[in-house]
Amino acid sequence: MVEVETTVGAAVPAVRIEKLVKDFSVPFRREKLRAVGGISLEMAAGEVYGLIGPNGSGKSTTMKVLLGLIAATSGRTEIFGVSSGKVSSRREVGYLPENPYFYKHLSGAETLRFYGRLCGLRGRELKARIGELLELVSLEDAADRRLGGYSKGMLQRIGLAQALIQEPRLVVLDEPTAGVDPAGSRKIRDLVLEMKGRGISVILCSHLLEQVQEVCDRVGIIHRGQLVKEGALEDLINIEEQTDIVLENAPPELLEEIRAKVDGSGARLVRMGHPRTTLERLFLRETGGEEGRERGGE
Amino acid sequence: MGSLGRIWVLSGATFTQLVRMKTFYFLLIFCGLVALAGSLNIMAYNAEQQMKLVKDVSLGAMSLFASIFGIVATAMLIPRDMEDRTLYTILAKPVPRVEYLIGKLLGVLMVIAVSLAAMHIFFSVVLYARQEMLLADDMAMMAERADLSEEDVQNYAERVREQGVTWNLVNATGAIFMKSCVVTASAMVISTVATTSLFTIIVSILVFFIGHVQALARTYWVDVEGGGVVAKLFSALVALVFPDYQLFNVIDGVVSGEWIPFGAMLKLAGLTAFYVGIYTVVAYLVFAEKEL
Repeated sequence: MVEVETTVGAAVPAVRIEKLVKDFSVPFRREKLRAVGGISLEMAAGEVYGLIGPNGSGKSTTMKVLLGLIAATSGRTEIFGVSSGKVSSRREVGYLPENPYFYKHLSGAETLRFYGRLCGLRGRELKARIGELLELVSLEDAADRRLGGYSKGMLQRIGLAQALIQEPRLVVLDEPTAGVDPAGSRKIRDLVLEMKGRGISVILCSHLLEQVQEVCDRVGIIHRGQLVKEGALEDLINIEEQTDIVLENAPPELLEEIRAKVDGSGARLVRMGHPRTTLERLFLRETGGEEGRERGGE
Repeated sequence: MGSLGRIWVLSGATFTQLVRMKTFYFLLIFCGLVALAGSLNIMAYNAEQQMKLVKDVSLGAMSLFASIFGIVATAMLIPRDMEDRTLYTILAKPVPRVEYLIGKLLGVLMVIAVSLAAMHIFFSVVLYARQEMLLADDMAMMAERADLSEEDVQNYAERVREQGVTWNLVNATGAIFMKSCVVTASAMVISTVATTSLFTIIVSILVFFIGHVQALARTYWVDVEGGGVVAKLFSALVALVFPDYQLFNVIDGVVSGEWIPFGAMLKLAGLTAFYVGIYTVVAYLVFAEKEL
């Protein structure tokens, strides 16, 4: 298990973005396209932060600036107190881009070895780390198979493993479940929860709002390059004036009694009925879950 | 880990990638071509001419392979890394962009070096076998002629051997490699500007051809047209941007039996270092500012 240092993280935020602006030049046109228009946010170490927004809202651009892949037009971005412009800021970061394609000629183990060596890992330490990560993403059986033969879900998982290779304190996941079937998607969600359990800070950019809701501590909503809403998930989605009561095996008489009491109390009964499962849970139950399905390849 | 370690990892990965793309299959074609040239028995040609033919075909094929491979491999690797977003995952690690570029360049050059070495060895073996076979036939015929002295026969054998396997062939292969280094580095500059492999290949081939005719053009502007200040400045700029690939063309000389002096090889090495250095710096300056 990875021991995460929290001494530094307690004082320094994992991510700090201040008044970030990013303009792109448009060929043959004088005016520029503003992709990000003054976003500021701060993310504490160990937190899982969901960045959600429609296509083209500026999520990926914000992440690219944070990772130093593109330069900000103005504003400042930092990772654990180090400016994103510095290469050293990337020592603490793992990144999984949207729809990643790794080198198809390499096997899963070779891919992790390549990224591990780029991060300075060597010898037994690297070998042990590769084994640990392959187990974590359930790809031990496909370790020696070339990535050209991997399914989309397997590619995303090996991508997640490469993001974690140097035991980063921050992981940035850009649409990690895009194009992945529900079983693979659930597996990736479980891995995010596992990272959270290890104290790794995670930024999750996703369209799948249900998934963001399940794993994130805080959420930011980006629209047209602006952070329109931001805060702790519970604060954002709680409906303070309503209360859920879920009963199991309640007889009809009890339900009638509750209804009558509610009517006489001045409160309003908004809804009473059978709760529903989600389509995802139904799918997983009917298809036998995700375990083992992709282990040997699809 | 230091820069050199990361560059080594990147160049090793590039080398593996190109090898697994089955680029070495070209060597089979080359071997077939050289074996064919080595087995041709053209009656009108004497031994020296037949060996010149083997050298001409082999060195020509090696030069063509090295230059085309340098352009195509470079054009395919960097733009493809960008298209596939593989570049994001590499640069999101603590890898400076200059190390990525140098790693890719070295990986391509390593494949070219190994290929040229393999081709050189095969072609030398074929040339040696051809030399000994032709000499054995000719010496047998000459031994029957009463008008030829032993000295005449030995002089003839020496002349034929000068056209065979000599250190001069190593110089020729070295010059081919140096030229391919410059071609590959120029393709790397173009690939950092381009967004597609096709664009890189087309422009790199154009630059390759300009490099072959630029000396001729400069001579015309400066010497024939009178060479005003503007013409001289322009020709200097052209010479800086486009290397004079004719300087690397030692094949014709080696085929005709000319010896390439050590000083000339040093001069070529200096020229190669100059252009590869300049191109790497330009590629970095472009790539460092590139919005990925």
